[in-house]
Amino acid sequence: MSKVLSMKNIRKSFADNEVLKDISLEVEKGEVVAIIGPSGSGKSTFLRCATRLETIDSGEIYYGDECMARTDEKSGVIYADKAQMKRINKKFSLVFQNFNLFPHMSVMKNITSSPISVFGVPKAQAEKTAMSLLERMGLEDKAKAYPCELSGGQQQRVSIARALALNPEILFFDEPTSALDPELTGEILKVIRGLAKDKMTMVIVTHEMSFARDVADKIIFMDDGYVVEQGDAKELINNPKSDRLKAFLSRFEN
Amino acid sequence: MNSAQLLLIIKRLAEGMLTTTEIFALTLVLSLPLGFVFCFMRMSKNKALSTVMKVYISIMRGTPLMLQLMVVFFAPSLLFGLTLSWQGWRFTAVIVGFVFNYAAYFAEIFRAGMESISPGQYEAANILGFSKGQTFFKIILPQVIKRVLPPVTNETITLVKDTSLAFVLSVMEMFTEAKQIVATTSSIAPFIVAAVFYFVFNAIVAAVMGKIEKKLSYYN
Repeated sequence: MSKVLSMKNIRKSFADNEVLKDISLEVEKGEVVAIIGPSGSGKSTFLRCATRLETIDSGEIYYGDECMARTDEKSGVIYADKAQMKRINKKFSLVFQNFNLFPHMSVMKNITSSPISVFGVPKAQAEKTAMSLLERMGLEDKAKAYPCELSGGQQQRVSIARALALNPEILFFDEPTSALDPELTGEILKVIRGLAKDKMTMVIVTHEMSFARDVADKIIFMDDGYVVEQGDAKELINNPKSDRLKAFLSRFEN
Repeated sequence: MNSAQLLLIIKRLAEGMLTTTEIFALTLVLSLPLGFVFCFMRMSKNKALSTVMKVYISIMRGTPLMLQLMVVFFAPSLLFGLTLSWQGWRFTAVIVGFVFNYAAYFAEIFRAGMESISPGQYEAANILGFSKGQTFFKIILPQVIKRVLPPVTNETITLVKDTSLAFVLSVMEMFTEAKQIVATTSSIAPFIVAAVFYFVFNAIVAAVMGKIEKKLSYYN
């Protein structure tokens, strides 16, 4: 199996507050990893470091063989240059909690603008890809709609289609259902299940424990900037070893 | 007053209206982009640059435009001893004064617009690989334009009325003409006609801006 993502010894502080304390993660092709943990445990920051929305203080991040960031003893963290970053950028995408669709663009333009203007995909081809993604999301009739005309669940599905438009090797989800009511949560989880079935490599930060157990191969439990426990998804949820994970999971049982 | 006199007044004011429109159009065309430049300087991470801009804007907003026009006009001769006998200097000074004053106001309007865009828009653009320039022109600017349109309309309407301040430099715009006719004929009619001109001009401005706003209302 080949590694799609490899993050080693990641550290990140905001001012005096160390949010990530030496975190490592390796994701194999086709693997689904769920990251769980209480609020403020560093889960989202970890994803934001992986996607370069935040810069790391030390550690290394590789996508396949391409180095996005590494730490040199003398000069600290060195990030990939522009040309390299553009190649790496194509390998991953991120689905946000709040969708972050572009409100002034139609659904079609939301999905095709990056492929066309950033990566030079011919318009006709980009639109064809977008249509097939919309069909996959059950939104083929919404291509001309604007985000404000869609429900939260539909907006999130559009943002998943947008993230898939460049055929990334790995897809990150940052609490993709936290902004949705329970009814709409179901439709997003269904889409992610479908992607898992198609062997899409994914890293999902989520508060949906049963979903994480069912869909993920591996779960990572983070607390206070550390990985407290990790392992096989079912095993970890059904037989938690650490007291902290036990305490965390007990809050979800009712 | 007979209708021939009234017609004469209208004709002279209409001629002045050309200069008024010129001041209006030039100011708008130059101060809008300059406003964006000032906005970027004001929002710059460079502390010195943003402080300079902050002070500049507070001076522009804190002192009368009429005074600023006179400073611009007299500065070359009174500060540097230059004699500007050039015919167009009065008009140029008016334009320079207006542009730098309005750009300061527009900069603050744009800043409010820029700051109202959620950081998530920048982050999504970043993830999708857009460069900084693309992010600004394709993602941020269209949304900022929609949001700043109502305050920009306000400023534009104020500008139409402010063009009358050009009289302090004796630029023969419409209001300067009106004052001269009043002085020579002792009739209030020129002022009434001038008021009608301004009112109609602003009605047109409001209608045009309303149309643009409506055009951008396809999303919210």
